[in-house]
Amino acid sequence: MTNTTRMTGQIYQPVPLPRPQGPLTRMIVKVLPPLVVAALLLFLYAWIRSNLEQHRLFLMPSAFELWDNAFSKSDVWAELGSRSAVTISIALSGLAISIPLGMLTGLVMYRYYILERGLLPNIVALQAIPMLAIIPLIQTALGFGFLPKVLIVAKMTYFAIPMTFLLGLKSVDRGALDLFKLQNASWRTTLWKCALPSAAPALFAGLRISASMAVVGAIVSELFFLAGKGGLGQMIINSKIDFKYEQMYAALIASTVLSVSVYLFFSWLGNYLFSEWHESGGKQG
Amino acid sequence: MEHHPATLSAQDTSNRKADGGANQAIALAFDRVGMQFPDGTLALEDVTLHIKQGEFVSVVGPSGCGKSTLLKIASGLIPQTSGTVTVDRNNLGYTFQDATLLPWRKVLGNVELLMELRGYSPEERRRIAQEQIDLVGLSGFENHYPKRLSGGMKMRASLARSLALNPSVFMFDEPFGALDEITRERLNDELIDLYVRKGFTGLFITHSIPEAVYMSSKVIVMSRRPGRILKVYDIPFDFPRSPELRYDAAFSALCGEISVSLRQAIEG
Repeated sequence: MTNTTRMTGQIYQPVPLPRPQGPLTRMIVKVLPPLVVAALLLFLYAWIRSNLEQHRLFLMPSAFELWDNAFSKSDVWAELGSRSAVTISIALSGLAISIPLGMLTGLVMYRYYILERGLLPNIVALQAIPMLAIIPLIQTALGFGFLPKVLIVAKMTYFAIPMTFLLGLKSVDRGALDLFKLQNASWRTTLWKCALPSAAPALFAGLRISASMAVVGAIVSELFFLAGKGGLGQMIINSKIDFKYEQMYAALIASTVLSVSVYLFFSWLGNYLFSEWHESGGKQG
Repeated sequence: MEHHPATLSAQDTSNRKADGGANQAIALAFDRVGMQFPDGTLALEDVTLHIKQGEFVSVVGPSGCGKSTLLKIASGLIPQTSGTVTVDRNNLGYTFQDATLLPWRKVLGNVELLMELRGYSPEERRRIAQEQIDLVGLSGFENHYPKRLSGGMKMRASLARSLALNPSVFMFDEPFGALDEITRERLNDELIDLYVRKGFTGLFITHSIPEAVYMSSKVIVMSRRPGRILKVYDIPFDFPRSPELRYDAAFSALCGEISVSLRQAIEG
């Protein structure tokens, strides 16, 4: 008897749970949770630090040490600035290679089934090669300049692009394609006016993944190339050698900011282009 | 009167009368058409059907009997494996089961699409599209994206897109199947209205017998797979048709008769 009452008294909860209403609540719900989680992570950091032995404390600098030894110094800021410029130029150059190349491979795989069969397994295999393991080879072959680093970024950011683009192209509505076919539209017209716009949101999902990998790739590549004036990756290694752990943390923070910025830019661009018409977009009804 | 400057025969087309097939010219002819898919499935067998200019013919049949295949063959989307189809494909209208609007184009852009593919000038496109949008009752929604339209409105936009080319033969592949009954009946009336005004030849696939009888001058009952034509019913009611026809005794009797033969078709 009590069981029945409880059953009928239960309120149905949809999945996912509905978002709270009202502009102020919405704002708070948007901004507060990430800040709370970030604060918790900082607490975790502080808690671990408080349990660290005295001689290992340098591994986790406090906020004061960070400020005193890194962020209060103009020469550190200048170094962060110039090295960020190097890192970002490597990352963006890598994307400038991987994005067009990835789109081109996605496109030819869509157009010619035989090329899909030929390329796709090899693209997966290429992705499976551990990056760090082939960096020495790249160094031997191409030296220590700008180009090998760019190629490393290009290789790391390539994979997601043909994969998502091909998926998008293959998901084009059959009816829409028939519509073009009925008008005897050429392959090129069908591509421009139907397949490409239809695949664009999927492609942008891939671009966002690649973008977030690009800065990481640039920094990883620099860890192995210490000659000359390098980027943030080199600064991380140099700070370690010079025992300037605060500056290492500063470089880490700068690289995180860079990485997130590139990601946010592509997210914003995708949202700007698609939110009005795509089902995933914000403006409903 | 709808005038269409892009077609040389604008005067003819606008004067085409929906006269239930009194005009003797054949607009669409299937002669002993058969279709076997590469996997061996025999979808259509020996289909012979002549549709006169200005007729509105509906096809009903068990699901999977090849109704849609018939339409795809007629439109040239897939080639038949035997027999011949005679139709002028240069002036063909086609609506799909879904509205198939391009989601990144607004209503106006979607209605302009086919004219764009045919190479109409931008001014002409804009003007004709606006006319069709007004005609299907979507005025004021020109700048809406499809995702903001209801199912019925999407279908109206889809009709407007086809109408823009002023088709002489118009094919419908269960266009209203996904809509609710009220919207469906309204769109039936609107489509009859368009048919009477524009006088195209119609080939309409549907699951609904009342819809078929209400819309058509002729109803074809197809057998289960492989699809053959079992029976042809002439629908005697005059165009334009009024919604009251749906409650008419003769209308119900005819629906019943077709329903019985469709059941026989399903049971073989």
